[in-house]
Amino acid sequence: MEDSVSRMRSGSLVHCGSGLRNMAARIIARCVRSLNHRAVCLNSINTAATLTAAPLTHGRTFSQLTNGHKSPLAQISGSSFQVFQWRQYGDLPPLTLETIHDRVLYVLKLYDKITPEKLQATSHFMKDLGLDSLDQVEIIMAMEDEFGFEIPDADAEKLMTPQEIVQYIADKKDVYE
Amino acid sequence: MAAAYLTHHQKVLRLYKKSLRHIESWCIFRDKYRFYACLLRARFDENKHEKDMMKATMMLKAGEEEFWANQHPQPYLFPDSPGGTSYERYECYKVPEWCLDHWHPSEKAMYPDYFAKREQWKKLRMRTRPVINLNILE
Repeated sequence: MEDSVSRMRSGSLVHCGSGLRNMAARIIARCVRSLNHRAVCLNSINTAATLTAAPLTHGRTFSQLTNGHKSPLAQISGSSFQVFQWRQYGDLPPLTLETIHDRVLYVLKLYDKITPEKLQATSHFMKDLGLDSLDQVEIIMAMEDEFGFEIPDADAEKLMTPQEIVQYIADKKDVYE
Repeated sequence: MAAAYLTHHQKVLRLYKKSLRHIESWCIFRDKYRFYACLLRARFDENKHEKDMMKATMMLKAGEEEFWANQHPQPYLFPDSPGGTSYERYECYKVPEWCLDHWHPSEKAMYPDYFAKREQWKKLRMRTRPVINLNILE
């Protein structure tokens, strides 16, 4: 892939116009074929037109090539061709019971009034760990900050062990095994 | 919470939580928030052993008024909480589950495992349905 990049760099500086477009199209097709078979069909259709679809990170530089601009090609060298053919929506990774459990225990271990050695999944905040109800409010607020959604007060005052908190979050977030 | 009224304990805890959230909205830097949160906790801690309910209620009332005077005009709300941006956003898409029975068989064939278990689930629900005796007036 590196030699084709350098070839493109030298080739497109020399040629211009339709010759440049053909050269760019051939090299792009070769690069993309080495990555993704499916992408070739789309790219060979698109290269004549705009090239905005496939390599999203380099759409601008490729369209400049097809338009005949002699833009500095330093952007292409040293960077990889990321060909994404699918939509990417912004979302968090899906929650599982183990990850919720690990995160809850991690946040609890960070709290300075709890000794990490005594902390278990079933340790009661008031009876086993000797915490206050104000501490329990602070713990629930830390859980809200960790998982990003509010736990209403009516439910929050009932959550007294880490296992109950994990259960509640799994109920709210539809996490099941 | 079973009863219709909040106990004094619950009211104090709710005041503590919402005042902490508003302090968090005021103090955007985390260390500054932590400092003022510790000060607030100390204020709550020195009065928490009050046995006289009259004085405790007066202190709670004073605390609520102080909260009202110092609240943030646009506190940070979680997206799913009431007043947040995403509150009840997906309510229109939450269809009741009896609509699943009205699916076309070709659609049901796309999820064979679920619909196989669904029949068993419905039978279990019919078996364990709570029996409501309408003769007893409560």
